[in-house]
Amino acid sequence: MTDVVVRGLSKSFGSNNVLKALDLLVPSRQFVTLLGPSGCGKTTLLRLIAGLERGNGGEILFGENRVDHLPPGERNIAMVFQSYALYPTMDVARNIGYGLEVRRIPKPERSEKISTVAKVLEIGHLLLRKPKQLSGGQRQRVALGRAMARRPDIFLMDEPLSNLDAKLRSAMRGELRRFHLDLGTTTIYVTHDQLEAMTMSDLVVVMNEGIVQQIGTPEEVYSKPANLFVAGFIGTPPMNLFPATNSDGFLKVANTTLPIQISSDLPRELVIGIRPQEVSVVSTGEPGAIPGKVWMVELIGSERLIEVEIAPKLRITAEVRAKHRAAIDDHVAVRLDPTHLHIFDPVTGKALSA
Amino acid sequence: MKTWVAALLYAVLSAITVVVCFPLLWAISTSLKPKSEIFRWPPTLWPENITFESYRELLFGGAVASAPGAGVPPSAYFLDWFANSVIVSVGSTAISITIATLAAYSLTRFRFWGQRAVPYIAILGYMVPSVIFVFPMFLTMVSLDLTDTLLSLILGYVCITLPFCLWLMWAFFRGVPIEIEEAALVDGASRLQVFRQVVLPVALPGIIAASIFSLIVSWNDYLFGRVFMNSMENLPLTVGVMHFFDGTHVDWGLMMASSVLMTLPMAILFGFMQRHLVAGFGAGAVKG
Repeated sequence: MTDVVVRGLSKSFGSNNVLKALDLLVPSRQFVTLLGPSGCGKTTLLRLIAGLERGNGGEILFGENRVDHLPPGERNIAMVFQSYALYPTMDVARNIGYGLEVRRIPKPERSEKISTVAKVLEIGHLLLRKPKQLSGGQRQRVALGRAMARRPDIFLMDEPLSNLDAKLRSAMRGELRRFHLDLGTTTIYVTHDQLEAMTMSDLVVVMNEGIVQQIGTPEEVYSKPANLFVAGFIGTPPMNLFPATNSDGFLKVANTTLPIQISSDLPRELVIGIRPQEVSVVSTGEPGAIPGKVWMVELIGSERLIEVEIAPKLRITAEVRAKHRAAIDDHVAVRLDPTHLHIFDPVTGKALSA
Repeated sequence: MKTWVAALLYAVLSAITVVVCFPLLWAISTSLKPKSEIFRWPPTLWPENITFESYRELLFGGAVASAPGAGVPPSAYFLDWFANSVIVSVGSTAISITIATLAAYSLTRFRFWGQRAVPYIAILGYMVPSVIFVFPMFLTMVSLDLTDTLLSLILGYVCITLPFCLWLMWAFFRGVPIEIEEAALVDGASRLQVFRQVVLPVALPGIIAASIFSLIVSWNDYLFGRVFMNSMENLPLTVGVMHFFDGTHVDWGLMMASSVLMTLPMAILFGFMQRHLVAGFGAGAVKG
């Protein structure tokens, strides 16, 4: 089975450095997601691994073998494109079998593999159709079938679900995960959708500006963000991030010294992060709560988001049960759960331990 | 749509169809009339006595020995002219399409200096009337010693059809998503296989459209044939049939029969190719 090792990989388009000496290890048989905002270099990294782009430096290994000099066809990978990229003039069967055809696999064997894949993906009845006669979901399956038919060492997927409607997307998430568990093929999956990353992956690689920000399980990147970028990027609604000071071992936010003890070795200026779910809204005057005024209230189904202004231009969002009543301009206070507090260095952005 | 609107529409369309088709129908009718009926007044819309005399003279006239001292009648050259037209049209189209397809592909797929300008310069060249090119090109042909050869016509037609074919193919390839080529590369196809098995089939409607354009332009050309060619046996059809006029009379029967025979190949070709023009477009391969 095949690890993917990326060492010091750089890529620039003109003066735009898309990847900056990137290191990455994708362990064999794992489902690894490259997650980041658009332009973070995740698709470029995937294309470099596929061989569709050449890097400006660094190396890529599959297991022990260096592959960065090989053309895509010799890397034994399969790729699912965002646009599906089916061959428009070929029917579904030939689309699925094309990789076998160019490798001169004899026809009977090819037909057998095509029908096996078609059966798994439940597209057996579509084999004689042309891509334009298929629905989006069916095209998606054919693209997947084309990738599976060759039994590649590695699957590369570039936002394969982003062109599907919401319902189909959530169904396909489960199916993709299921296929991965059945096949056990190393998979690298690119997405900007954190829900996909969180639900499907063994490991999430959070990227920004051509740099890997954090690699971890979905739980780790959610509950232990390595830096301010990851903290702000992962989670909906996003984590509250606001300035605080280290007041002789106690945390001070907007003139309120909180009964939260921190190491006095920490720098004076800090950035605090806390998820809206760990913030509670209480009445003013409660000890240890930060007083403020309700700035906005939003109902999001079973929960309600309450934004409380605790200082000019400084607002903290709390996610509370929908039955919690609060009106705009009410005087309230917010209490932060100290066990779920994240502390960051405002200069380096790195997470600090309390 | 309301019935009377549809009726009016059909009436107008029918009238236009008659106007457009009448010359062709008249040509067919005249070509089938005996010489005595062609000039009859009032004219007959359809010949009273159908004769294939004119066609026989054109198609088999070359085999008929002419009367001694009368010289060879122009109709004896008809099959030569026809062959010449076929050779130069097909030859120039084959060259134009090959160059245009490869050039357009590289213009959309590879990055090089001036890449964006080339198609626009080409279409600009096409907008210049070919009359302007014909004499400089004639002088070039003279210096190359190519006048009165079919090659000179082929080269001439390539010059006037290539720019538009290039433009057409360029516009076509721009609409072919590069992902399908990348998918084929990942599938293990070589560059050549990608081009032959994935790109060309997708480009086929474009190639057919460009070919039809090029064939029609070179088949119908008169100017280049008139300027470049001298010998009776080397003329293309368009120039050759003018010999059915001579100082004293016009042989309308031969003229019209030639017109019909000239139109036939293009009509057949178009009818046959039309189907492929719409088929196989890349639509739907990529999200849609």
